[in-house]
Amino acid sequence: MIKFENVEVKFNDNYLLKDLSFTIENGEKLLIYGQSGIGKTTIFRLLLGFEFPQQGNIYFEKKILDVNTIWDIRKKVAYVSQNLDIGSGNVSRLIQHAFSYKSNAHLTTSKERLKESLSFFRLKESILKEDFERLSGGEKQRIAIITALLLDRNIFLLDEATSSLDIELKEKVITLFIENRQWTVLVISHDKDWLNRPGLKVINLDKNHAYTRNI
Amino acid sequence: MHTPEISNFSLFLCSLLLIIPFAISIIFKLGIIKSTLTSVVRMAVQLLLIGIFLKYLFQFNIPLVNILWLVIMIAVATFNVTSKINLKLKTFLLPIFISFIVATFFVIFYFNIFILDIENVVDARFLIVIGGMLLGNSLRGDIIGIDNFYRMIKRNENRHLYNLSLGATIMEALLPYLKESLVSALQPTMATMATMGIVFLPGMMTGQILGGVSPVLAIKYQIAIMIAIFVSTTIAINLAILLTIRTCFNPYGLLRKETFR
Repeated sequence: MIKFENVEVKFNDNYLLKDLSFTIENGEKLLIYGQSGIGKTTIFRLLLGFEFPQQGNIYFEKKILDVNTIWDIRKKVAYVSQNLDIGSGNVSRLIQHAFSYKSNAHLTTSKERLKESLSFFRLKESILKEDFERLSGGEKQRIAIITALLLDRNIFLLDEATSSLDIELKEKVITLFIENRQWTVLVISHDKDWLNRPGLKVINLDKNHAYTRNI
Repeated sequence: MHTPEISNFSLFLCSLLLIIPFAISIIFKLGIIKSTLTSVVRMAVQLLLIGIFLKYLFQFNIPLVNILWLVIMIAVATFNVTSKINLKLKTFLLPIFISFIVATFFVIFYFNIFILDIENVVDARFLIVIGGMLLGNSLRGDIIGIDNFYRMIKRNENRHLYNLSLGATIMEALLPYLKESLVSALQPTMATMATMGIVFLPGMMTGQILGGVSPVLAIKYQIAIMIAIFVSTTIAINLAILLTIRTCFNPYGLLRKETFR
Protein backbone atom coordinates (compact mmCIF):
# COMPACT_ATOMS: atom_id res chain seq x y z
CA MET A 1 0.00 0.00 0.00
CA ILE A 2 1.20 3.45 -0.92
CA LYS A 3 -0.48 6.50 0.51
CA PHE A 4 0.10 10.20 -0.08
CA GLU A 5 -1.48 12.44 2.54
CA ASN A 6 -1.80 16.16 1.79
CA VAL A 7 1.59 16.23 0.16
CA GLU A 8 2.97 19.60 -0.78
CA VAL A 9 6.14 20.33 -2.73
CA LYS A 10 7.27 23.85 -3.42
CA PHE A 11 9.91 24.83 -5.90
CA ASN A 12 11.23 28.28 -5.04
CA ASP A 13 7.91 29.91 -4.21
CA ASN A 14 5.72 27.98 -6.59
CA TYR A 15 3.75 24.93 -5.69
CA LEU A 16 4.68 21.91 -7.71
CA LEU A 17 2.33 19.64 -5.82
CA LYS A 18 -0.31 20.97 -3.52
CA ASP A 19 -2.45 19.01 -1.15
CA LEU A 20 -2.01 15.76 -3.05
CA SER A 21 -3.66 12.74 -1.48
CA PHE A 22 -4.23 9.29 -2.87
CA THR A 23 -4.00 5.67 -1.81
CA ILE A 24 -2.98 2.71 -3.88
CA GLU A 25 -3.66 -0.74 -2.48
CA ASN A 26 -1.50 -3.73 -3.31
CA GLY A 27 -2.23 -5.02 -6.77
CA GLU A 28 -3.79 -1.79 -7.98
CA LYS A 29 -2.64 0.13 -11.02
CA LEU A 30 -2.36 3.89 -11.05
CA LEU A 31 -1.83 6.16 -14.01
CA ILE A 32 -0.47 9.64 -13.31
CA TYR A 33 -1.44 11.75 -16.24
CA GLY A 34 -0.79 15.36 -17.18
CA GLN A 35 1.33 17.86 -19.07
CA SER A 36 5.11 18.03 -18.95
CA GLY A 37 6.55 19.94 -16.00
CA ILE A 38 3.44 19.50 -13.91
CA GLY A 39 5.20 17.43 -11.24
CA LYS A 40 4.50 13.86 -12.27
CA THR A 41 8.08 12.67 -11.88
CA THR A 42 8.26 14.43 -8.51
CA ILE A 43 5.72 11.94 -7.18
CA PHE A 44 8.14 9.09 -7.97
CA ARG A 45 11.13 11.02 -6.66
CA LEU A 46 9.29 11.54 -3.38
CA LEU A 47 8.54 7.84 -3.15
CA LEU A 48 12.20 6.96 -3.69
CA GLY A 49 13.51 9.49 -1.19
CA PHE A 50 15.15 11.64 -3.86
CA GLU A 51 13.02 14.62 -2.91
CA PHE A 52 11.13 15.60 0.19
CA PRO A 53 7.72 17.14 0.76
CA GLN A 54 7.51 20.43 2.64
CA GLN A 55 4.13 19.36 3.97
CA GLY A 56 2.25 16.12 4.31
CA ASN A 57 3.29 12.53 4.67
CA ILE A 58 3.91 9.54 2.49
CA TYR A 59 3.21 6.04 3.75
CA PHE A 60 4.56 2.81 2.41
CA GLU A 61 3.00 -0.35 3.75
CA LYS A 62 1.50 1.74 6.54
CA LYS A 63 4.89 3.01 7.65
CA ILE A 64 5.81 6.61 7.18
CA LEU A 65 8.48 7.25 4.58
CA ASP A 66 11.53 8.62 6.36
CA VAL A 67 15.22 8.05 6.73
CA ASN A 68 14.62 4.77 8.57
CA THR A 69 12.27 3.22 6.05
CA ILE A 70 13.58 4.60 2.76
CA TRP A 71 16.41 2.09 2.35
CA ASP A 72 13.93 -0.72 2.75
CA ILE A 73 11.44 0.87 0.35
CA ARG A 74 14.15 1.09 -2.31
CA LYS A 75 14.61 -2.65 -2.03
CA LYS A 76 10.96 -3.29 -2.73
CA VAL A 77 10.33 -0.96 -5.62
CA ALA A 78 11.43 -1.44 -9.22
CA TYR A 79 11.94 1.91 -10.87
CA VAL A 80 12.24 2.64 -14.57
CA SER A 81 13.22 6.26 -14.87
CA GLN A 82 12.50 8.54 -17.77
CA ASN A 83 16.15 9.51 -17.87
CA LEU A 84 17.87 6.48 -19.32
CA ASP A 85 21.40 7.50 -18.41
CA ILE A 86 21.59 4.61 -15.98
CA GLY A 87 25.04 3.22 -16.63
CA SER A 88 27.76 2.41 -19.07
CA GLY A 89 29.63 -0.56 -20.39
CA ASN A 90 28.14 -3.58 -22.04
CA VAL A 91 24.49 -4.42 -21.56
CA SER A 92 25.12 -7.77 -19.94
CA ARG A 93 27.35 -6.16 -17.33
CA LEU A 94 24.83 -3.42 -16.68
CA ILE A 95 22.07 -5.93 -16.00
CA GLN A 96 24.36 -8.04 -13.80
CA HIS A 97 25.38 -4.90 -11.94
CA ALA A 98 21.90 -4.63 -10.44
CA PHE A 99 22.38 -8.04 -8.87
CA SER A 100 25.77 -7.26 -7.42
CA TYR A 101 24.15 -5.43 -4.50
CA LYS A 102 23.66 -7.28 -1.25
CA SER A 103 19.92 -6.65 -1.26
CA ASN A 104 19.56 -8.43 -4.62
CA ALA A 105 22.15 -11.12 -4.03
CA HIS A 106 19.48 -13.72 -3.19
CA LEU A 107 18.09 -13.48 -6.72
CA THR A 108 19.33 -15.93 -9.23
CA THR A 109 18.86 -14.80 -12.76
CA SER A 110 19.04 -17.75 -15.02
CA LYS A 111 20.28 -17.33 -18.57
CA GLU A 112 17.02 -18.82 -19.80
CA ARG A 113 14.96 -16.21 -18.06
CA LEU A 114 17.05 -13.42 -19.48
CA LYS A 115 16.76 -14.96 -22.96
CA GLU A 116 13.00 -15.21 -22.58
CA SER A 117 12.78 -11.58 -21.52
CA LEU A 118 14.89 -10.46 -24.43
CA SER A 119 12.73 -12.30 -26.91
CA PHE A 120 9.53 -11.03 -25.27
CA PHE A 121 10.85 -7.51 -25.81
CA ARG A 122 11.94 -8.40 -29.35
CA LEU A 123 15.63 -7.93 -28.65
CA LYS A 124 18.38 -10.10 -30.07
CA GLU A 125 20.68 -11.87 -27.67
CA SER A 126 23.65 -10.14 -29.30
CA ILE A 127 22.51 -6.90 -27.66
CA LEU A 128 24.03 -8.16 -24.41
CA LYS A 129 27.48 -7.58 -25.85
CA GLU A 130 26.75 -4.07 -27.04
CA ASP A 131 27.64 -0.85 -25.29
CA PHE A 132 24.58 0.40 -23.41
CA GLU A 133 25.32 4.04 -24.14
CA ARG A 134 25.23 3.41 -27.88
CA LEU A 135 21.79 1.81 -27.90
CA SER A 136 18.74 3.62 -29.25
CA GLY A 137 16.24 5.14 -26.82
CA GLY A 138 13.79 2.29 -27.41
CA GLU A 139 16.45 -0.34 -26.79
CA LYS A 140 17.62 1.36 -23.60
CA GLN A 141 14.03 1.53 -22.41
CA ARG A 142 13.54 -2.18 -22.98
CA ILE A 143 16.78 -3.07 -21.17
CA ALA A 144 15.68 -0.91 -18.22
CA ILE A 145 12.29 -2.63 -18.08
CA ILE A 146 13.90 -6.08 -18.35
CA THR A 147 16.22 -5.25 -15.44
CA ALA A 148 13.26 -4.03 -13.39
CA LEU A 149 11.38 -7.25 -14.10
CA LEU A 150 14.33 -9.49 -13.25
CA LEU A 151 14.53 -7.89 -9.80
CA ASP A 152 11.37 -9.82 -8.91
CA ARG A 153 9.78 -6.96 -7.03
CA ASN A 154 6.09 -6.38 -6.71
CA ILE A 155 5.88 -2.65 -7.01
CA PHE A 156 6.74 -0.87 -10.22
CA LEU A 157 7.30 2.81 -10.84
CA LEU A 158 7.31 3.33 -14.58
CA ASP A 159 8.15 6.85 -15.69
CA GLU A 160 7.37 7.20 -19.41
CA ALA A 161 8.76 3.71 -19.69
CA THR A 162 6.99 2.87 -22.94
CA SER A 163 7.39 6.20 -24.74
CA SER A 164 9.89 4.98 -27.35
CA LEU A 165 8.33 1.61 -28.08
CA ASP A 166 6.28 0.90 -31.20
CA ILE A 167 2.53 0.45 -30.86
CA GLU A 168 2.59 -3.32 -30.98
CA LEU A 169 5.25 -3.69 -28.29
CA LYS A 170 3.69 -0.93 -26.20
CA GLU A 171 0.41 -2.85 -26.13
CA LYS A 172 2.25 -5.99 -25.11
CA VAL A 173 4.10 -4.26 -22.26
CA ILE A 174 1.01 -2.45 -21.01
CA THR A 175 -0.90 -5.71 -20.95
CA LEU A 176 1.95 -7.43 -19.12
CA PHE A 177 1.89 -4.88 -16.31
CA ILE A 178 -1.87 -4.40 -16.05
CA GLU A 179 -2.83 -8.04 -16.08
CA ASN A 180 -0.51 -9.20 -13.33
CA ARG A 181 -2.63 -9.20 -10.20
CA GLN A 182 0.30 -9.40 -7.82
CA TRP A 183 1.91 -6.25 -9.02
CA THR A 184 1.25 -2.74 -7.83
CA VAL A 185 2.01 -0.51 -10.77
CA LEU A 186 2.38 3.26 -10.82
CA VAL A 187 2.71 4.68 -14.28
CA ILE A 188 3.57 8.13 -15.51
CA SER A 189 2.67 8.55 -19.13
CA HIS A 190 1.44 10.89 -21.81
CA ASP A 191 0.31 7.90 -23.80
CA LYS A 192 -3.35 7.48 -24.55
CA ASP A 193 -2.61 3.75 -24.75
CA TRP A 194 -2.40 3.58 -20.99
CA LEU A 195 -5.30 5.97 -20.41
CA ASN A 196 -7.70 3.90 -22.46
CA ARG A 197 -7.14 0.75 -20.48
CA PRO A 198 -9.88 -0.32 -18.08
CA GLY A 199 -9.10 -1.14 -14.46
CA LEU A 200 -6.73 1.75 -13.97
CA LYS A 201 -6.91 4.45 -11.36
CA VAL A 202 -6.08 7.79 -12.89
CA ILE A 203 -4.75 10.94 -11.34
CA ASN A 204 -4.84 13.86 -13.70
CA LEU A 205 -2.54 16.66 -12.61
CA ASP A 206 -3.23 20.13 -13.90
CA LYS A 207 -1.91 23.62 -13.46
CA ASN A 208 -4.33 24.58 -10.72
CA HIS A 209 -3.31 21.60 -8.62
CA ALA A 210 -6.72 20.14 -9.11
CA TYR A 211 -6.34 16.41 -9.20
CA THR A 212 -9.16 14.65 -10.91
CA ARG A 213 -9.39 11.05 -10.03
CA ASN A 214 -11.08 8.46 -12.06
CA ILE A 215 -11.40 5.46 -9.87
CA MET B 1 83.69 13.78 -5.09
CA HIS B 2 82.10 16.98 -3.90
CA THR B 3 79.45 19.34 -5.18
CA PRO B 4 80.90 22.42 -6.89
CA GLU B 5 80.01 25.65 -5.19
CA ILE B 6 77.58 28.03 -6.92
CA SER B 7 78.65 31.55 -6.05
CA ASN B 8 76.25 34.48 -6.00
CA PHE B 9 77.86 35.67 -9.18
CA SER B 10 77.22 32.29 -10.85
CA LEU B 11 73.59 32.53 -9.80
CA PHE B 12 73.48 35.92 -11.48
CA LEU B 13 74.95 34.34 -14.62
CA CYS B 14 72.22 31.72 -14.46
CA SER B 15 69.50 34.34 -14.25
CA LEU B 16 70.92 35.91 -17.43
CA LEU B 17 69.50 32.89 -19.25
CA LEU B 18 66.06 34.40 -18.63
CA ILE B 19 66.87 36.91 -21.38
CA ILE B 20 65.90 34.20 -23.87
CA PRO B 21 62.30 33.69 -22.70
CA PHE B 22 61.99 37.46 -22.19
CA ALA B 23 63.09 38.11 -25.76
CA ILE B 24 60.56 35.56 -27.00
CA SER B 25 57.90 37.17 -24.84
CA ILE B 26 58.61 40.54 -26.46
CA ILE B 27 58.63 39.14 -30.00
CA PHE B 28 55.39 37.20 -29.61
CA LYS B 29 53.82 39.73 -27.22
CA LEU B 30 53.24 37.00 -24.63
CA GLY B 31 53.17 39.56 -21.83
CA ILE B 32 54.68 37.18 -19.32
CA ILE B 33 57.81 39.13 -18.36
CA LYS B 34 56.26 40.71 -15.31
CA SER B 35 54.68 37.51 -14.03
CA THR B 36 57.89 35.57 -14.69
CA LEU B 37 59.91 38.10 -12.74
CA THR B 38 57.45 38.01 -9.86
CA SER B 39 57.59 34.21 -9.82
CA VAL B 40 61.38 34.10 -9.92
CA VAL B 41 61.68 36.67 -7.14
CA ARG B 42 59.10 34.84 -5.04
CA MET B 43 60.93 31.58 -5.55
CA ALA B 44 64.24 33.17 -4.56
CA VAL B 45 62.88 34.85 -1.45
CA GLN B 46 60.91 31.79 -0.29
CA LEU B 47 63.84 29.45 -0.81
CA LEU B 48 66.23 31.87 0.88
CA LEU B 49 64.00 32.07 3.94
CA ILE B 50 63.43 28.34 4.03
CA GLY B 51 67.16 27.80 3.57
CA ILE B 52 67.96 29.87 6.62
CA PHE B 53 65.14 28.22 8.51
CA LEU B 54 66.21 24.70 7.58
CA LYS B 55 69.80 25.49 8.48
CA TYR B 56 68.79 26.16 12.08
CA LEU B 57 66.19 23.42 12.10
CA PHE B 58 68.89 20.91 11.13
CA GLN B 59 71.39 22.46 13.51
CA PHE B 60 69.20 22.31 16.61
CA ASN B 61 67.29 19.23 15.48
CA ILE B 62 64.66 19.32 18.25
CA PRO B 63 62.21 16.42 17.74
CA LEU B 64 59.09 18.35 18.71
CA VAL B 65 59.99 21.28 16.48
CA ASN B 66 60.67 18.92 13.59
CA ILE B 67 57.31 17.29 13.97
CA LEU B 68 55.61 20.66 14.33
CA TRP B 69 57.26 21.89 11.16
CA LEU B 70 56.05 18.83 9.23
CA VAL B 71 52.54 19.47 10.55
CA ILE B 72 52.76 23.05 9.29
CA MET B 73 53.89 21.76 5.90
CA ILE B 74 50.90 19.43 5.85
CA ALA B 75 48.59 22.31 6.77
CA VAL B 76 49.92 24.36 3.86
CA ALA B 77 49.50 21.36 1.54
CA THR B 78 45.92 21.00 2.78
CA PHE B 79 45.15 24.62 1.93
CA ASN B 80 46.77 24.13 -1.42
CA VAL B 81 44.65 21.10 -2.27
CA THR B 82 41.37 22.47 -0.91
CA SER B 83 41.76 25.76 -2.73
CA LYS B 84 42.27 23.99 -6.04
CA ILE B 85 39.18 21.82 -5.89
CA ASN B 86 35.70 23.15 -6.39
CA LEU B 87 34.49 21.93 -3.02
CA LYS B 88 33.46 23.76 0.12
CA LEU B 89 36.51 24.69 2.19
CA LYS B 90 34.66 24.42 5.46
CA THR B 91 33.61 20.83 4.81
CA PHE B 92 36.86 19.60 3.37
CA LEU B 93 39.65 21.37 5.21
CA LEU B 94 39.68 19.24 8.34
CA PRO B 95 39.12 15.80 6.74
CA ILE B 96 41.84 16.46 4.14
CA PHE B 97 44.19 17.69 6.85
CA ILE B 98 43.61 14.56 8.93
CA SER B 99 44.07 12.34 5.89
CA PHE B 100 47.37 13.98 5.02
CA ILE B 101 48.60 13.74 8.59
CA VAL B 102 47.82 10.03 8.77
CA ALA B 103 49.16 9.24 5.28
CA THR B 104 52.37 11.26 5.65
CA PHE B 105 53.26 10.24 9.19
CA PHE B 106 52.48 6.57 8.61
CA VAL B 107 54.59 6.35 5.48
CA ILE B 108 57.42 8.47 6.83
CA PHE B 109 57.73 6.51 10.07
CA TYR B 110 57.67 3.25 8.16
CA PHE B 111 60.30 4.69 5.84
CA ASN B 112 62.58 5.93 8.61
CA ILE B 113 62.20 2.91 10.86
CA PHE B 114 62.20 -0.01 8.44
CA ILE B 115 63.78 1.25 5.24
CA LEU B 116 66.42 3.70 6.44
CA ASP B 117 66.75 2.05 9.83
CA ILE B 118 67.88 5.33 11.41
CA GLU B 119 68.11 5.74 15.15
CA ASN B 120 66.40 9.08 15.43
CA VAL B 121 63.20 8.71 13.39
CA VAL B 122 62.34 12.37 13.86
CA ASP B 123 65.70 13.60 12.63
CA ALA B 124 65.04 16.79 10.67
CA ARG B 125 67.21 15.68 7.77
CA PHE B 126 64.88 12.76 7.10
CA LEU B 127 61.55 13.74 8.62
CA ILE B 128 61.36 17.11 6.89
CA VAL B 129 63.09 16.32 3.66
CA ILE B 130 61.28 13.07 2.98
CA GLY B 131 58.03 14.46 4.34
CA GLY B 132 58.36 17.34 1.89
CA MET B 133 58.98 14.98 -1.00
CA LEU B 134 55.96 12.88 -0.09
CA LEU B 135 53.69 15.89 0.21
CA GLY B 136 54.97 17.69 -2.87
CA ASN B 137 54.65 14.64 -5.06
CA SER B 138 51.31 13.35 -3.88
CA LEU B 139 49.49 16.70 -3.98
CA ARG B 140 48.57 16.45 -7.65
CA GLY B 141 47.22 12.94 -7.22
CA ASP B 142 45.27 13.94 -4.13
CA ILE B 143 43.66 16.86 -5.95
CA ILE B 144 42.72 14.68 -8.94
CA GLY B 145 41.33 11.91 -6.72
CA ILE B 146 39.16 13.92 -4.37
CA ASP B 147 37.95 16.27 -7.08
CA ASN B 148 37.11 13.43 -9.48
CA PHE B 149 35.14 11.52 -6.89
CA TYR B 150 32.70 14.32 -6.15
CA ARG B 151 32.57 15.61 -9.70
CA MET B 152 31.78 12.18 -11.12
CA ILE B 153 28.90 11.67 -8.72
CA LYS B 154 27.51 15.09 -9.50
CA ARG B 155 27.81 14.52 -13.23
CA ASN B 156 26.32 11.04 -13.02
CA GLU B 157 23.54 12.00 -10.65
CA ASN B 158 20.94 10.00 -12.51
CA ARG B 159 23.08 6.85 -12.39
CA HIS B 160 23.65 7.35 -8.70
CA LEU B 161 19.91 7.63 -8.09
CA TYR B 162 19.26 4.60 -10.26
CA ASN B 163 21.72 2.56 -8.21
CA LEU B 164 20.05 3.67 -4.98
CA SER B 165 16.68 2.69 -6.44
CA LEU B 166 18.06 -0.79 -7.13
CA GLY B 167 18.61 -1.19 -3.40
CA ALA B 168 22.29 -0.33 -3.17
CA THR B 169 23.63 0.81 0.18
CA ILE B 170 25.43 4.13 0.14
CA MET B 171 28.82 2.43 0.16
CA GLU B 172 27.79 0.05 -2.63
CA ALA B 173 26.59 2.96 -4.72
CA LEU B 174 29.77 4.95 -4.14
CA LEU B 175 32.30 2.17 -4.55
CA PRO B 176 32.60 2.38 -8.36
CA TYR B 177 33.35 6.10 -8.07
CA LEU B 178 35.89 5.54 -5.33
CA LYS B 179 37.65 2.98 -7.49
CA GLU B 180 37.62 5.18 -10.55
CA SER B 181 38.87 8.29 -8.79
CA LEU B 182 41.63 6.35 -7.09
CA VAL B 183 42.80 4.91 -10.39
CA SER B 184 42.73 8.32 -12.05
CA ALA B 185 44.72 9.81 -9.17
CA LEU B 186 47.37 7.12 -9.16
CA GLN B 187 47.82 6.99 -12.90
CA PRO B 188 50.22 9.97 -13.12
CA THR B 189 52.50 8.41 -10.48
CA MET B 190 52.30 5.04 -12.24
CA ALA B 191 53.22 6.68 -15.53
CA THR B 192 56.11 8.51 -13.85
CA MET B 193 57.39 5.27 -12.37
CA ALA B 194 57.10 3.45 -15.68
CA THR B 195 59.13 6.01 -17.60
CA MET B 196 61.57 6.86 -14.86
CA GLY B 197 65.21 6.70 -15.85
CA ILE B 198 64.43 6.48 -19.53
CA VAL B 199 62.50 9.64 -20.21
CA PHE B 200 63.86 11.69 -17.35
CA LEU B 201 66.13 11.48 -14.37
CA PRO B 202 64.21 12.26 -11.21
CA GLY B 203 65.17 15.27 -9.13
CA MET B 204 65.96 13.43 -5.92
CA MET B 205 68.28 10.98 -7.61
CA THR B 206 69.99 13.72 -9.60
CA GLY B 207 70.42 15.73 -6.43
CA GLN B 208 72.00 12.84 -4.58
CA ILE B 209 74.36 12.04 -7.42
CA LEU B 210 75.40 15.71 -7.59
CA GLY B 211 75.90 15.53 -3.85
CA GLY B 212 78.40 12.74 -4.28
CA VAL B 213 76.26 9.70 -3.50
CA SER B 214 76.92 6.62 -5.62
CA PRO B 215 74.35 6.18 -8.43
CA VAL B 216 73.35 2.76 -7.10
CA LEU B 217 72.40 4.14 -3.70
CA ALA B 218 70.70 7.13 -5.32
CA ILE B 219 68.61 4.75 -7.41
CA LYS B 220 67.59 2.78 -4.33
CA TYR B 221 66.48 5.97 -2.63
CA GLN B 222 64.53 6.95 -5.71
CA ILE B 223 62.74 3.61 -5.88
CA ALA B 224 61.90 3.77 -2.18
CA ILE B 225 60.60 7.32 -2.37
CA MET B 226 58.43 6.58 -5.43
CA ILE B 227 56.79 3.67 -3.64
CA ALA B 228 56.32 5.84 -0.58
CA ILE B 229 54.68 8.57 -2.69
CA PHE B 230 52.39 6.00 -4.28
CA VAL B 231 51.33 4.59 -0.93
CA SER B 232 50.80 7.93 0.78
CA THR B 233 48.66 9.14 -2.15
CA THR B 234 46.52 6.01 -1.88
CA ILE B 235 46.04 6.40 1.86
CA ALA B 236 45.35 10.13 1.67
CA ILE B 237 42.67 9.87 -1.03
CA ASN B 238 40.89 6.91 0.50
CA LEU B 239 40.83 8.47 3.89
CA ALA B 240 39.78 11.90 2.65
CA ILE B 241 36.86 10.40 0.73
CA LEU B 242 35.78 8.12 3.57
CA LEU B 243 35.95 10.99 6.04
CA THR B 244 33.88 13.32 3.86
CA ILE B 245 31.18 10.90 2.71
CA ARG B 246 29.29 11.24 5.97
CA THR B 247 29.06 15.00 5.73
CA CYS B 248 28.60 15.27 1.96
CA PHE B 249 25.76 12.79 1.59
CA ASN B 250 22.51 13.10 3.47
CA PRO B 251 21.00 10.11 5.30
CA TYR B 252 19.01 9.32 2.15
CA GLY B 253 22.23 8.77 0.22
CA LEU B 254 21.97 11.94 -1.85
CA LEU B 255 24.89 14.24 -2.50
CA ARG B 256 24.33 17.50 -0.65
CA LYS B 257 24.32 20.63 -2.78
CA GLU B 258 26.42 22.40 -0.16
CA THR B 259 29.32 20.07 -1.00
CA PHE B 260 30.30 22.34 -3.85
CA ARG B 261 31.40 25.94 -3.76
